[in-house]
Amino acid sequence: MIRPFGEAALLVDTASADRAQALAADLQREPIPGVIAAIPGLGSLLVELDPLAADPEAVRDAVATRLTHVAEQAAGTRLRTIPVAYGGEMGPDLPDVADLTGLSEAEVVERHATAELRVLFDGFAPGFAYLGDLPVELRVARLETPRTRTPTGSVAIAGLMSGVYPAALPGGWRVIGRTPVTLFDPRRDPPAYLMPGDRVRFERIAAEERERHAGVPDDW
Amino acid sequence: MTIEILEPGPLTTVQDAFGRPGWRHVGVPVGGAADPWSARLANRLVGNPDDAPLLEITLGGALIATDELAWMALTGGLRAEAGAIELPIHEAWRLRPGGSVRIRAADGARGYLAIRGGFLVERVLGSTATDLRAGFGGLEGRALLAGDRLEVGPMTGPTARWTGTRSTGPIRIVAGPHTAAIDALGAEWTVAVEADRAGVRLDGPRIEGGEVPSMGLPLGAIQVPPDGRPIVMLADRPVTGGYRAPASVIRADIGRVAQLLTGDGLSFASVTAEEAIKALHQAEGELAKIEPLEAAGEDGLAWAGSHE
Repeated sequence: MIRPFGEAALLVDTASADRAQALAADLQREPIPGVIAAIPGLGSLLVELDPLAADPEAVRDAVATRLTHVAEQAAGTRLRTIPVAYGGEMGPDLPDVADLTGLSEAEVVERHATAELRVLFDGFAPGFAYLGDLPVELRVARLETPRTRTPTGSVAIAGLMSGVYPAALPGGWRVIGRTPVTLFDPRRDPPAYLMPGDRVRFERIAAEERERHAGVPDDW
Repeated sequence: MTIEILEPGPLTTVQDAFGRPGWRHVGVPVGGAADPWSARLANRLVGNPDDAPLLEITLGGALIATDELAWMALTGGLRAEAGAIELPIHEAWRLRPGGSVRIRAADGARGYLAIRGGFLVERVLGSTATDLRAGFGGLEGRALLAGDRLEVGPMTGPTARWTGTRSTGPIRIVAGPHTAAIDALGAEWTVAVEADRAGVRLDGPRIEGGEVPSMGLPLGAIQVPPDGRPIVMLADRPVTGGYRAPASVIRADIGRVAQLLTGDGLSFASVTAEEAIKALHQAEGELAKIEPLEAAGEDGLAWAGSHE
């Protein structure tokens, strides 16, 4: 389904984040005249056009044709490993997550750190990647009262998604750990470490090891 | 040439007209001027390219000085004075060396002060706009403070006055993608206290809202959270949003929304996408209605201000 979203954008229902990424990649490889941006969502792709130059009907038809041809994107080949110090001061919500899930804190950490996740899309803030899907036993609701400030590097979960706060931001996800790595730097190209389609794993580190891992990852 | 911010007012930032539309897939908001139409006009009046860095001044209360003769222009919803002289809006004027301009509240939320030559600030991810939340762009990624100095580029283009008009009346919207509540938007609305560069919340009847899977948000999208209070999304909106969107404000009118003040009333009028595109071409035509100022000699310093 393709619906107009204002006079200068189409919201393309792709049913999955994978297919949204596949269509975005296809549009980048082979641009449709008049299309100026494609922004992946959870089950959709926002296709923006130049309203002064594009032929909206032609763009809509071309996107519809592309959509029928793109396959579900195979799992991305790039694997990102994010070191995390779990619990304690770094993960203040770990005890609550254990309570809510009926798991021990160690089990929560073990399941989070062994899951292989994918970047579904980036949003919320520069460099913030929505990672999914978590194992169902880690599914928890958001905080009832969001924090006004979640520290930089906080590793958090909500629903079936996990995310890492690239900067100190307000947020309602439950924080179970913290990573010392830089995730967003506007002066690097690309500016984000985690891009749509990347595979992501979390690696448990001790709080004392954080300094060794701090800064820009080698494989940016 | 150096411009000094003597008083910044409640919020003054360096912005450009177009922001960073190309980095949303990594979560970077578009940003840029909240009223991009006024920003482009201000630049054109001082002979700058449309996307030259300029000042977005919120609600007034700013005092800005120059060390050399400077051509400037103010557009948008504020007004300017130099000493006791009321300066024209939508027309370039000169500030003498050592002079200062006071920007005051008028009928809108934001003014755009362009200077001939543009401000020399770093380009980050293709734009000079300040991203206040992420803390980059503009001057050190932050709002301007008293004592800040900005360097000005070499002067080039001709100065001008504007002779066009801006649309009035209801704010025009195009339906979609979640059209169920579109008729309910026909009510009378009032701008709520929550009105900033990211969006403008509206008070009025509660309408049908709710959550949807996160989706990319175009400029002007009207999101309705579960509380039923619509929010019109502006320049600093997040890349994605998870609320129902019954309609979007058309591009030709989005700058007018950015000029609304808390307590202002507004109503929406539904138009087709074709009408919206026609309105955009019209707005572009009005933007282009500028006439060059007479080549003024030294006696043309009528608008040269003195220190306050």
